[in-house]
Amino acid sequence: MPMKIDAKLGLDVFKLDKEPHIVIDNDVCKAVCTDEACLYVCPADLYERDDQGRMTVNWEGCLECGTCLICCDAKALTWTYPRGQFGVQYRMS
Amino acid sequence: MDIVVCVKTNPDLQMVRVKDRVAVTEAVPYKIGDLEKNALQAAVDLRAAAGGKVTALCLAVGNRKAAEDVKVALAMGADEAVVIDDPALAAPDQAAVATALAAAVKKIGACDLLLFGEGSTDNYSGQVGARVAEILGLPQIGYARKVEAVGGAVRCERSMDDMLETLEAPLPAVVTVVSEINEPTIPGLMQIMKAKSKPLQVWSLADLGLDAAQLAPTREIVSNLAEEQDRKHILFDGSAAEQADAFVNALIKEGVLGR
Amino acid sequence: MEQVECIVVGGGLAGLSAAYGLASAGAEVMVLERGDYSGAKNVTGGRLYVKPIRRFYPELWDEAPYERPVARELVTMMAGGAHTTVEIASDRFTAGQPQSYTVLRARLDQWLAEKVGEKGAMVVPNMKVDELLRKDGKVTGIRAGEDEIGAQVVIVAEGVLRLLSSKAGLTSEPQARHHAIGYKEVIELPAGVIEDRWRLNPGEGAAHLFMGDCTKGMMGGAFLYTNKESISLGMVVGMDDMRRRRDGSESWQLLDEFKELPQIKPLVAGGTVAEYSAHSIPEGGISQVPKLAGDGYVVAGDTAGLSLNALVTVRGMDFAIASGYFAAQAVLKAKEAGDFSAAGLASYEASLRDSFVLRDLETARSIPNVMENPRLFTHYPQAIGRLLESVYTIDDQPQAGIVKKAWRGVRRDFMSVATVKDAWSMRKI
Repeated sequence: MPMKIDAKLGLDVFKLDKEPHIVIDNDVCKAVCTDEACLYVCPADLYERDDQGRMTVNWEGCLECGTCLICCDAKALTWTYPRGQFGVQYRMS
Repeated sequence: MDIVVCVKTNPDLQMVRVKDRVAVTEAVPYKIGDLEKNALQAAVDLRAAAGGKVTALCLAVGNRKAAEDVKVALAMGADEAVVIDDPALAAPDQAAVATALAAAVKKIGACDLLLFGEGSTDNYSGQVGARVAEILGLPQIGYARKVEAVGGAVRCERSMDDMLETLEAPLPAVVTVVSEINEPTIPGLMQIMKAKSKPLQVWSLADLGLDAAQLAPTREIVSNLAEEQDRKHILFDGSAAEQADAFVNALIKEGVLGR
Repeated sequence: MEQVECIVVGGGLAGLSAAYGLASAGAEVMVLERGDYSGAKNVTGGRLYVKPIRRFYPELWDEAPYERPVARELVTMMAGGAHTTVEIASDRFTAGQPQSYTVLRARLDQWLAEKVGEKGAMVVPNMKVDELLRKDGKVTGIRAGEDEIGAQVVIVAEGVLRLLSSKAGLTSEPQARHHAIGYKEVIELPAGVIEDRWRLNPGEGAAHLFMGDCTKGMMGGAFLYTNKESISLGMVVGMDDMRRRRDGSESWQLLDEFKELPQIKPLVAGGTVAEYSAHSIPEGGISQVPKLAGDGYVVAGDTAGLSLNALVTVRGMDFAIASGYFAAQAVLKAKEAGDFSAAGLASYEASLRDSFVLRDLETARSIPNVMENPRLFTHYPQAIGRLLESVYTIDDQPQAGIVKKAWRGVRRDFMSVATVKDAWSMRKI
């Protein structure tokens, strides 16, 4: 049975800031987005819709690859790297 | 008020992984412990209120880059740093650490207040502050969540679960702090750049008038293994009710339930 | 405003290479790296071609912390359950000074950062740069948090996403069409198992690429590199293809499906996943290389789009190191002339054009277009698989001769108008 994506992320070191480094503008999502690319391009499977149908991102497990940012044609993401001392810290890779 | 803050660089515990039940510390970076950063911040805050000088006193304990890593303390606001680095102190016990620190504090000289974190992030014995106080014959207040200078004394507040205790000790004194005391600042680039030119000394045991034999560990760690996690890997099928029944039966069979 | 001579934004291979060259020549250099250490935010497939860069900083490359010299190269075409593998183990890959090594970035970059520090540069980890400062079109320094630091020249090696340089108008924002997503698992295996499994002499390594079914027709492929005591196993998929895909599958699932294939399972059996990582990869080729230098700045490494996926060879780190080297040389020249303007720094682009970096990218100019051809990832792996499968198949019917079987396959799959067109478009790669 394949390893769950959560379990894979559990192997990585994440240093968590208090504030998210990715913010989604759901108004833009609603108005502009047609393909919901973030839902399936993210290699960490961090994007999902909540009960109200709003797009959310579990930024705590972000691998900082930027794929969602590059693929978001709607420009709905405010995406920065986490501050120094925070975010994923690879030990091998 | 001249303050000495004792800091130790520890392997960054978040970066340590466990392989075959052994912690892999190879290539794990060292950093100053979080509680020691609280102590440093407390010292910098006290200096802002009462003036004086803050010295970061760092024990290298096996970190070959301690003199580099301690610069974080200088960037956080310490005026000077002293690193005790000696091969004989690669894996010291608490008694050895306290002996070395006490000797260094004496050598530094001017010290009204000696600050520690309540424990180090690696072993967390919580002994070193008290031991140093004992060696130096100073009053000690542990687990402070607030520290202020009041005349020739230090006033601390600490939480005792059901009450708050306020204690005062005449200076010089030793205080250990808990994480609630403050939120350590993350030094900015300017502070890091300025830290480069602050005084930093590296002392060996000989500089402290100590020899290795005095600091030989009194105990030996024979084995240090991560707990073995033995999972049963049993999956239950069926409806929720069937699964619950099967689950309860399995727990009874394991002797976990129904004893 | 506090001033330093040179600021390097990003302590990856490009930035560190530049800093090493500058500090070696006595320039004042500050490297700002946002990770806990250099390599903490970096991901490689990965293999470093060392041969192209040996002449830059020759003292470094014999002591770098490599994983294994690559002695065996494999490429597998996957289609409909048939995997066809081409393999070469040449003495010349490893004789004398091996041409390439597998690497892990946390080790490699940390080591190089230490070397840079020894040369007198200040390497500041945990420091994210928030802005490139500009005045009258000239880059004058950086802002990190509330602190602004001025510099004669800023070496922009911030990585593939160009968050700072695009905002400052030095580069364009990355587009899905010109980028791939790469992600991988580092899977631990004992050295002996690795050597047995890939038939390697002790210490030697293998590089194995896969194309075809593993990306479900999307541009890209899977990769496997053997490290000392682990393998790096991952996927690269074109972002545009991934984005346009609407079958409900998600990028990360491709690797899981790949690992479950009967041909792949034995390669990873008994391994323990130790880390999971992902990174964007510039794959736009030379047409996406931005202006490389301007008043007060140069761009290097992934930020400059310097990477080349030529199907069986995948390069980026050697380009990054080379571009860092040339950036340092150009800055030193500018320093000597006291001219850090675009004109003063122009030798950077000139030397990159003279070197293998832009020459190889120029040679490969048409590859990104060729790679957009979906038949490359569907039809051809299938055709090759079908052809060889037919040659190797015996069933209960009378068998045609081998040549006839093969010819039948060639005629069916390789002699259409489309394939002739493809061959024409591929003539330059």
